[in-house]
Amino acid sequence: MRSLIAKYAGKMERDRSVVPGRAGIAAQDDVMLSEGAPDLSRLAADVLSHLSCLGVVAASPSLPFAEFLLRRANPDVKTIVPLDTETRTFLHDIPIVRREELAGNPARVIAALLSNRKGVIAEGVGIVASGPVTLEQAYIHYSSVFHACYVKYLLDVLQEGFLLPGEGEAFRAFRETFLRPLTAEGLSFRAGPLDDPGEVLSEIRAAGRYTVERGLVDSFFGNISYRVGGTIFISQTAASLDELAGCVDPVPTDNRSTTGITASSELLAHRRIYEATGARAILHGHPKFAVAMSMLCDVKDCPVKDCWKDCTRVRMLGDIPVVAGEIGAGGLAVRVPPVIGGPGKAIVYGHGVFAIGRDGFEEAFRSMVDVENRCREEYFRRLDTRGGHPSTSVSHIHSR
Amino acid sequence: MPEHMLIVDLSSGRMRREEIPPELLRAYLGGRGLGVRLLRERHTLSPFDPAMPVVFAVGPLCGTPAPTSARIEVVSRSPLTGTVYDCSAGGRFAWRLRAAGLLAILVEGNSPRPVVLAVTSAGEELLPAEELWTKGVGETVSALSGRGSVAAIGPAGENGVLFSSVMMGEGNAVGRGGLGAVLGRKNLKAVTVDGDRTVPVADRVRFDRARADVLRLFRASPVIFGELGISEYGTPALVDLMRQRRMAPTENFRRTVFHGSSCYSGPAIRAAYGAKKEGCFGCPIRCKKRASDGRSLPEYETVSHFGALNGISDLHAIVRSNDACNDLGMDTISAAATLSAWGEARGRFPSPEEIGPLLHDIAHRRGEGDLLAEGSRRVAEALGKPGLSMSVKSLELPAYDPRGAYGMALAYVTSNRGGCHLRAYPISHEILRKPVASDRFTFSGKARMIKIAEDTNAAVDSLVACKFAFFGASLEEYAELLAGATGEHHTPQSLKEIGERIWLTERFYNARNGFTRADDDLPARFFTEAGSSGEGIDIPPIDRARFGEELTKYYRIRGLRDDGSFPDDGFLGRQP
Ligand code: SF4
Ligand SMILES: [Zn+2]
Repeated sequence: MRSLIAKYAGKMERDRSVVPGRAGIAAQDDVMLSEGAPDLSRLAADVLSHLSCLGVVAASPSLPFAEFLLRRANPDVKTIVPLDTETRTFLHDIPIVRREELAGNPARVIAALLSNRKGVIAEGVGIVASGPVTLEQAYIHYSSVFHACYVKYLLDVLQEGFLLPGEGEAFRAFRETFLRPLTAEGLSFRAGPLDDPGEVLSEIRAAGRYTVERGLVDSFFGNISYRVGGTIFISQTAASLDELAGCVDPVPTDNRSTTGITASSELLAHRRIYEATGARAILHGHPKFAVAMSMLCDVKDCPVKDCWKDCTRVRMLGDIPVVAGEIGAGGLAVRVPPVIGGPGKAIVYGHGVFAIGRDGFEEAFRSMVDVENRCREEYFRRLDTRGGHPSTSVSHIHSR
Repeated sequence: MPEHMLIVDLSSGRMRREEIPPELLRAYLGGRGLGVRLLRERHTLSPFDPAMPVVFAVGPLCGTPAPTSARIEVVSRSPLTGTVYDCSAGGRFAWRLRAAGLLAILVEGNSPRPVVLAVTSAGEELLPAEELWTKGVGETVSALSGRGSVAAIGPAGENGVLFSSVMMGEGNAVGRGGLGAVLGRKNLKAVTVDGDRTVPVADRVRFDRARADVLRLFRASPVIFGELGISEYGTPALVDLMRQRRMAPTENFRRTVFHGSSCYSGPAIRAAYGAKKEGCFGCPIRCKKRASDGRSLPEYETVSHFGALNGISDLHAIVRSNDACNDLGMDTISAAATLSAWGEARGRFPSPEEIGPLLHDIAHRRGEGDLLAEGSRRVAEALGKPGLSMSVKSLELPAYDPRGAYGMALAYVTSNRGGCHLRAYPISHEILRKPVASDRFTFSGKARMIKIAEDTNAAVDSLVACKFAFFGASLEEYAELLAGATGEHHTPQSLKEIGERIWLTERFYNARNGFTRADDDLPARFFTEAGSSGEGIDIPPIDRARFGEELTKYYRIRGLRDDGSFPDDGFLGRQP
């Protein structure tokens, strides 16, 4: 248990989702274990003692976005509804709890909210998340809330500007020092096409790790595959992109075996993309600016309400197609394959990026970097041109 | 809305409908929880005592469009295991019971002659059933067509086979623990239910939102709606996976890989039989598969145990074994595992040709079938080889070798109904990676994981929802569905607390019936013999010391003493 606590504490620091040294993790076996910053680990343990769960993470996020969202919300608002669709599917909404509500017994108040949701935002504390089945789940739920708040805040700022004292400065620090240039330089990829299963597995592991190490995506969300003849080697469901050893399923394309029942929920999308494009490699992840930008739409008077699943248009962000569709057996497996072949990349509304490599992962990786960099640029261009005026943008989001 | 149950005294033929006290429903929900609570005054009676009740109970979601919720629980004490016993089954019976205006039926007493209990929204009656006695399930169900849904026993239940089932007319089974024999002793051949009442939904908007959330999560789950998942192939989708994970019990658990398993994999069954999708009432997953000729096709456990466990790779023979068990009304897992233990004891596993006649002999208690009808533990003991029964608390283990998943190893022994995979269902995270993956070869953390999962599933069995729903959704969405359906506030945490109460009640009953830590143990084979290692996967024997240590942790987490007993006798007195 202790080694698992150390593992996830390390991951949170490495993926830069927490302020260094400001995480507390509690895990419960027949005894309670907790580690990390003394105040936060105590809180995590107290919260966990009220819950039928394996673990709790309480941490100060590296960016103040969650806290800003809480303070920007009307005083009577009790939850934040994330707009990106993948976290939305799993989180539904994120309860927020204000400083004054935490005055008495904060652990009890937070536990009461966590009894019904995977993560909460607590003012002055940060994000607290639980893991009902494993400790890893608490880390994943923390990561989901962090991601959802990040994307929502980017969009809210673009729509409404800064509303709180200190917000502008914090955002500038985010833009100038937190964000690092994204690049594929210095990474080494094998040139494809690859045929040897051993080589394929090791290349999948490397490419998955790079996406996390380079800060392109969060480790838990995304999937990756490579096709050799009649077999798709694909990451398993609930696998972390930076820990794919032993977590890749070989799936025969003729479905003569069902061992791939544990493969990624996007197996069908990968298969259809291979069929439609003849590509060899597919990379999918949730880079944050791409997710945010995909949700801005200029179409006026559109009758569609649930854009994220019902929009049938192919919108363009520069030369990058954006389509909508639910994950898994929902619609994205239908809408992505026809548009991805030419440009080699596509964004799914409010969800993430698919990128293909005709021979190997280098092309896919570079494409994903390129998509995210261009979305970043476009985001800041729009932010700069809105020039602090309230809601001058015609773009809107009506996915509720 | 007041909820009612029907109480039937078969000895006198008296029947009455009673309101169920709302505080019982708040504390136990329905289904398994309600059934277990209703046994409180009589849990120490022998399973065959006329006064021992059998409870049929649905839950608060039944009759609403909540996905996978048209399920029924049947609860009593098992003649096979001696434990408190419940089993959930789908089909249409549950939904029609609710439409008859009932949440539960409690049957007690022994009828002087064979009867059918016929229930409608207008009332209930006991019909003479002499002509149905000795009939197979298929014929019984046809004879009762026009009376709604049927739950019936076959010859196995009539003849007291200790693993006889109650079969739902649609082919679903209340299996494993021999409740068919309990009904047989009561002379109750069948129960039919029909009705036209609808179930109101308290908060339609909230309910519909939760339902949409559940369906979206189903679509996002590869295990459910993935192209290789259970909606496409049914549970036999697991055949290839268990082979690949090297944990498919083979030849009475002597080995864990069976090279013939591809003959009865999901794709093989589909190629041979078509495998049309079918499901429990209103279920979008539709994991049941039917052949083009209308026969219901076997589940994973059945193909694996009539296959690998007996060294058989003949798909048609396996399907015939399944047909026979369904018509005779007996549990496929225990039947196949008992034959396998017997086969190992006599030095030869039964051939495909022998199995059919043997199954009939068991159901009619003819020849060797008379002993085999007692289940593997009693068979192995009678043959002087008790170590060959691969069972826990006399319940035969299903088709997940515990050496390949340590949470499963622990959960087999902590299960209150004996060696069952569904109580904690750690296969979900240890193998299927849902909702997240856990390391299948470690005990670390498993004690608490199992405890929480047992509580969760006790709540799920009381709602009653299907375990398969939780490969995608979670209690979060089901708590919302419940709140939407009933207007009462629930959270995953409050549901787990209800589950914990149910679980501890069951354990308390078992303890009163003499079960101790010594009964919470696996067959010795798993601690001394290795499984079939290979392809980079090592399947060593389980470390007994480490297993024992985790079991002790489990008791502590449960608030029990280190010997698994309750710290005091007052537990039941403190429960509503
Ligand atoms: S998933 Fe299968 S067993 Fe469960 S309710 Fe649906 S059809 Fe029935
Ligand atoms: Zn995704």
